[in-house]
Amino acid sequence: MTSSVVTSGLTKRFGTRLAVDAVDIDLPAGVVSGFVGPNGAGKTTTIQLLLGLCRPTGGSAEVLGRPISDPASYLSRVGALIEAPSFYPTLSGRRNLEVLTRLGRIDRARISEVLAMVELSDRGNDFVRAYSLGMKQRLGVAAALLPDPELCILDEPTNGLDPAGIREMRAVIRGLADRGISVFVSSHLLAEIEAVCDHLVMIDNGRIVFQGGVEKLIAAQHSDIIATPEHATDAQALAALCTAAGKPARVEGDEVHVQAPQDWAPELNRAAMAAGITLRALTVSRASLEQAFFALTDAAQAEGEGEA
Amino acid sequence: MLGAFSSEWVKLRRRAMLLWGLGGGLFFALIATIFTIERAVKNPGLFPLRRGRVSFYQLEMPTGLVHGVVDISTLIGIVALCLFAGAFATEFSQGTMRNLLVREPRRAQLLTGKFLAIAVFIGVAVVLEIVVSCAVAFILAPGRGITTSAWTSSTGINDLLQATLHVFLASVGYGMLGAALGVLLRSPGVAIGAAVAYVVAIEGIVVGAIWSNGDRWLPGQLLSAVAHGGTTDSSYHHSLITLAVYMVLIAAGTLIVFTRRDAS
Repeated sequence: MTSSVVTSGLTKRFGTRLAVDAVDIDLPAGVVSGFVGPNGAGKTTTIQLLLGLCRPTGGSAEVLGRPISDPASYLSRVGALIEAPSFYPTLSGRRNLEVLTRLGRIDRARISEVLAMVELSDRGNDFVRAYSLGMKQRLGVAAALLPDPELCILDEPTNGLDPAGIREMRAVIRGLADRGISVFVSSHLLAEIEAVCDHLVMIDNGRIVFQGGVEKLIAAQHSDIIATPEHATDAQALAALCTAAGKPARVEGDEVHVQAPQDWAPELNRAAMAAGITLRALTVSRASLEQAFFALTDAAQAEGEGEA
Repeated sequence: MLGAFSSEWVKLRRRAMLLWGLGGGLFFALIATIFTIERAVKNPGLFPLRRGRVSFYQLEMPTGLVHGVVDISTLIGIVALCLFAGAFATEFSQGTMRNLLVREPRRAQLLTGKFLAIAVFIGVAVVLEIVVSCAVAFILAPGRGITTSAWTSSTGINDLLQATLHVFLASVGYGMLGAALGVLLRSPGVAIGAAVAYVVAIEGIVVGAIWSNGDRWLPGQLLSAVAHGGTTDSSYHHSLITLAVYMVLIAAGTLIVFTRRDAS
């Protein structure tokens, strides 16, 4: 699989602050890649480096096979929404897009097409100052789509959107991927990323803590099997039985939480039955992206402290 | 560069830009012409005229037609300065510069195209101001008994065209000062404040209290001299050439800052 973005030791320092610390990223082309991390982790700075808006202090990167030292060679094939969408408030949405089409020598017919894609056709002639934050966000996505890009970089596209807007944005992003466009979308909302991404890059304190498939990340985390005995008095005995089998377990109310892969659930069921314990419910609790993120960042932090 | 030029015109056609950029200059030109003609003195006698007043004799010269506009050329220049400073600094302060740089990453071309578009806008504004000023002068002058025959002579037309060019060149010079501060300071309020304070106050204090010969060398003074077609202290050619050196240095500095600084 080819890569849409490859970075090697990409570093950006602002004075004494290291915003991006020797980042190595390899994004597969044609998929939605998520870029997650808390606020201030270095997501926006990394994106700005990829777009040639700021110069790296060290390292190198390629976007669509071209070096970031020559942004003119690839930006005509890249669409971008950077941080909060910024527009001229006293121009209409359509005129704002016209500024960009003229600048980038893009066919002006694209304006109507992208406005339709983000469902702003009927408000395209209104001044942007009259737009809600969600509408501005959608106009930002429309601006990113203007050049019919091969790679679309969206920085926090769901910021300020209501639940319906977030759902629409997800559909837009999935639609882009369905058309073969590589999408690199950043967010600090992990659930959003989990819902829409195939590939994931996690960053914390300027360092990459994980990159790979979403399923691979979650599968690597411990899942919990939750067993609920018919009689609450059996919970302790059931927990002891699991512990004896080498699977740590704890009792929470009338439930027993067992740290074990999900395919151990049938075994647990058989062991409980053999011990005369009838189970009322047996479920597998899948680790969320959020749990995976915190597990990774905690591990990275512990590793850093260990090195220090 | 053509893309940047064409794109800038979408913004220059905004109502607010037309109102303040064109309307403001037209208003000043109109008021200046009315005041110049209505306050002109027929027989000034031996005493020098008070500041801002001219004689009928001066107005009846071929250059008399644009006396009002040339007199307020500094004001027209400051309007241009604010327009340039605001146009550049606002792109940074409202975050739209990032959008522009993604669509046109060749920064030198973006800067040049944008500058030229605003310069053309200023050119249109100056021509309209001169046209309005001339029209008002031709309407008011006969009523006050001012003879206008020299205005339409070949010398008068030549002087009119030269005055238009001088005011335009000075306005673009003021604009370059504004653009440089806009790129450097990235805040429209700070950029406009600093530029106006420098041109209006700082240079005046320097020339008045510290360096009397400064009116031959300071950029604001030279811009004023160019707008007037030269002064007794600084000839037109000296002013133009010295100013050209300043402008090349300012343009080079602005280009270096704009191309090398992060746009985050």
